[in-house]
Amino acid sequence: MGRLVWFLTLVLAVSLGTFAFGWAAPAVLGAAWAAVRRDDVFVPLLASLAGAAGWGALLGVQAMMGPVARVAEVVGAAMQVGAGPLLVLTLAFPALLAGSAAGLVRGVADK
Amino acid sequence: MRKITSIVSAVALAAAIFVGAMPVGPVPPLGGFLNPTSGIWSVAGTAELPDEQTVTLTGFSADVEVKYDDRGVPHIFATTEADAARALGWVHARDRLFQMELIQRAVAGTLTQLVGARALPLDQNARRMMMGASADAKWNALPDTSSTRTVVTAYMEGLNAYVASMRPQDLPLEYRLLNAKPRVFEPKDTYYLLMRMSQTLSYQEAELRFAALEQLIGREAASALLPTEAPIQEPIEPVPGRTAAREIPTTIPAPAAPDARQVAEAKRIRDAVVQIVQQTAMPMNARDPLNTDLTDLLTRGEAVVGSNNWAVSPSRSASGFAMLAGDPHLELTLPSIWYEAHLVVPGVMDVYGVSLPLSPIIPIGFNRDVAWTMTNTGNDVVDYYKEQVDDSLSPRKYRVDGEWRDVTVREEVFTDAKGKVIARDTMFTTHRGPLMQTSLGWLSQRWTARETSDEGGIFRLGMRATSSSDFYARTSAYQTPAQNMLTADRSGNIGIRSTGRYPMRPEGRGDRVQDGTLSALDWNGNQPLMWYPQAYNPTQGYLASANQQPIDPQARNQYHGSDWPSPWRAMRINNILRANPKMTVDDMRRAHTDPKSELTPYIMAALNESKAAAEAAGTWTSDDAAAYDVLTQWNGEFTPTSNGAPLFMALGTEIAAGAWDELVLPGENRRVATPQQLILVTLMRENENPWWDVRSTTDVVENRDAVVLEALRRAWTSTRGRLGNEPSAWKWSDLRTITVNHLLKLPGFGRESLAVTSGPGTLSPAESGGTHGASWRFVVELAPQIRAWGTYPGGQSGNPVSSRYADRIALWQAGELAELRVPLAATDLTPELTSARVVFTSNGGAR
Repeated sequence: MGRLVWFLTLVLAVSLGTFAFGWAAPAVLGAAWAAVRRDDVFVPLLASLAGAAGWGALLGVQAMMGPVARVAEVVGAAMQVGAGPLLVLTLAFPALLAGSAAGLVRGVADK
Repeated sequence: MRKITSIVSAVALAAAIFVGAMPVGPVPPLGGFLNPTSGIWSVAGTAELPDEQTVTLTGFSADVEVKYDDRGVPHIFATTEADAARALGWVHARDRLFQMELIQRAVAGTLTQLVGARALPLDQNARRMMMGASADAKWNALPDTSSTRTVVTAYMEGLNAYVASMRPQDLPLEYRLLNAKPRVFEPKDTYYLLMRMSQTLSYQEAELRFAALEQLIGREAASALLPTEAPIQEPIEPVPGRTAAREIPTTIPAPAAPDARQVAEAKRIRDAVVQIVQQTAMPMNARDPLNTDLTDLLTRGEAVVGSNNWAVSPSRSASGFAMLAGDPHLELTLPSIWYEAHLVVPGVMDVYGVSLPLSPIIPIGFNRDVAWTMTNTGNDVVDYYKEQVDDSLSPRKYRVDGEWRDVTVREEVFTDAKGKVIARDTMFTTHRGPLMQTSLGWLSQRWTARETSDEGGIFRLGMRATSSSDFYARTSAYQTPAQNMLTADRSGNIGIRSTGRYPMRPEGRGDRVQDGTLSALDWNGNQPLMWYPQAYNPTQGYLASANQQPIDPQARNQYHGSDWPSPWRAMRINNILRANPKMTVDDMRRAHTDPKSELTPYIMAALNESKAAAEAAGTWTSDDAAAYDVLTQWNGEFTPTSNGAPLFMALGTEIAAGAWDELVLPGENRRVATPQQLILVTLMRENENPWWDVRSTTDVVENRDAVVLEALRRAWTSTRGRLGNEPSAWKWSDLRTITVNHLLKLPGFGRESLAVTSGPGTLSPAESGGTHGASWRFVVELAPQIRAWGTYPGGQSGNPVSSRYADRIALWQAGELAELRVPLAATDLTPELTSARVVFTSNGGAR
């Protein structure tokens, strides 16, 4: 499979995994993907992007069900960070989980 | 390089997992919090109610249908009252779960378990005041066979059933921000809510303010500043034949010059008042648990809240039907204290109104026959006793009639969310109530709300009244908080009764601190029902109340309290009703936000006299004339665009500062107490009263004219400083707005700086940056088919991202009302008028 297909597969897996197993799914899936694609030097970066994209897709689903922008506005204000940073944080968090897990597995596997 | 990458990755992963799983400071664990499927983002999917829902629950005796109308009001159609209550509990939980949690915890004194140690002072006060223990006692006093017990229990079953059935995405935002989960509610929690309403509405300490004033200015003057008889009478119980408020010629005795000992004593008592407030004060109402800065309540003077209600009989309504209007004023919050609901149980009840989440009752509303609403009575139901104790640090005994009695001592433990003990506090109680240490010594406090009563059951009875007289018969045992209950019925009757427990005192009054060593000074009974302020179908054809002194002492002289709020609102309502012999629904609506105040003419009259004196003396300047012109060209309306209102308000404030300078302790800048505006107006009748002499100017003796002139000059300077030099550009809304805060005052969750029609003495009073106002406004026309209109500043949903969270604020701000849907049957709500529907079916169990 090409890199794009692997990437899209991981995005889908992150979305479904988060839905089924919770917030730690990006870390587990990032690690698993790195174990499978250990020869790909871009694994950590792609895992990060897939983590963000996977949660981004879930946010998209939520946006179809209700006012996600309003949530960002209200919660961002309550946390005194603003709507934009809250959204960025929501995407950065799974990216960090998946990317760091993938980087760790790849580093360990190379030894 | 690989090694470094691995280490960096490991550290990053560990950090991400840590902040994902663990709270960091006030930030909840980010994993669950940010998870798009079950965290904060999922709240978007629950912002609006689903169109159709079927819920299977234990306990229903038959199916219950709930239809939400186009304003988000649930109409609950059930076959028993218990089923209706069970459905209402579920409905309340879906829309207002966090609010109910907060109310219960505020009364129980367990807020620390929700928000941490910052709520400790409030929890300590709640327990010191025995709020939860008193609510427990009220609940426990209900017989097992009590129908109220059955209905309240059913309500809590519905509430808990909703909590148990919640999906992760249903958890309200506030719980997520606090990293908390809902508690399991108990039936007695309804009585916690009612206890809290008593605290909000019937708590006061006039005797302590009197004690401080007595030291500072002498007994005679203090008695005049905090009188038991308001010097302007527009009572709740009408006086036959009277066509205007009665002004009682009164001279305010000169303030005595205190010696050093008296000043010290006044300071000591003032400190005691502060200490008592600090030991007992809770938020102004049930929805503001985190506001701990309450000592300011002592000295800011005139309360800027004020409820109103009024009714007209058919002879004075254009339609020929009785009409009733009401607007209870409370702290305004999001979500609102109120939740509109309609309960229909054929043959039992059909009641519409505003319910209080955490209870199955509708304290203000109407059924098919009668409408009712309330204002607060302000009666004196709290007394203080100075106790003689055996140990000034940790008393174990107190003396009564020469004998030592045991102090009840209890240790209260306060914990955080994890059960960790964060504080312990020893609390003391006498047979009268909580015992508090102050700079005056140990004071115990007695309060009617702490004594056994069943307001829940009485409200239930009232909801099923068939006429005004039947309403009063059903509510005659009502005790606390004492309320001016106004009714109108479909037969054209109107009535009012100030109902509540009014204790009898051996000395006849309760506005002085009592000697605790004498049991003879304890309460010795309750006023009989016939003594209550009341009126039924008065010849004048209308009734009104606005927290004023309820009975003109000239008509009947009974002690109900002291330091009565100024009667401006009462006078205004009565004047509106007197002037209009054929009120319409729209007239009733407009009165809620009437822009004029009966205070204004008094101030302007004094200003005119001051101007004449200044002109005669040749001291009237061009600036004085410019300021005067602004005020005389002003139409007297406190609308947001008014340009005269800012100057008028500043003038009133400056006059009060000039008049009451004797009430400021030497070396301080706050008054020991501030008399009501009514007393200031009374003083303004006396140009040469010694109160007008400003103590700081020892070389001259001022009179009223001089103080008013100086006040005008100061007001002119300060208003121009605040709003600019061009008076035509001044706007009242630049100074006077209202903020509706979220329950936790979370940024972004409230609505700030709302321009409103509001002024000192208007029917909708407020203060600058105020947070209190009309919590609900409604008008009911008692026609054969009842019609009603209403709104409140908020929305039905407690979810801040819901379109129904604050959707009514604009209507409320504009002084408009929405027509209320009052269907006889579920089928009367057409699909166009129905926004959502829930059907409850039983899965068996207890019936």
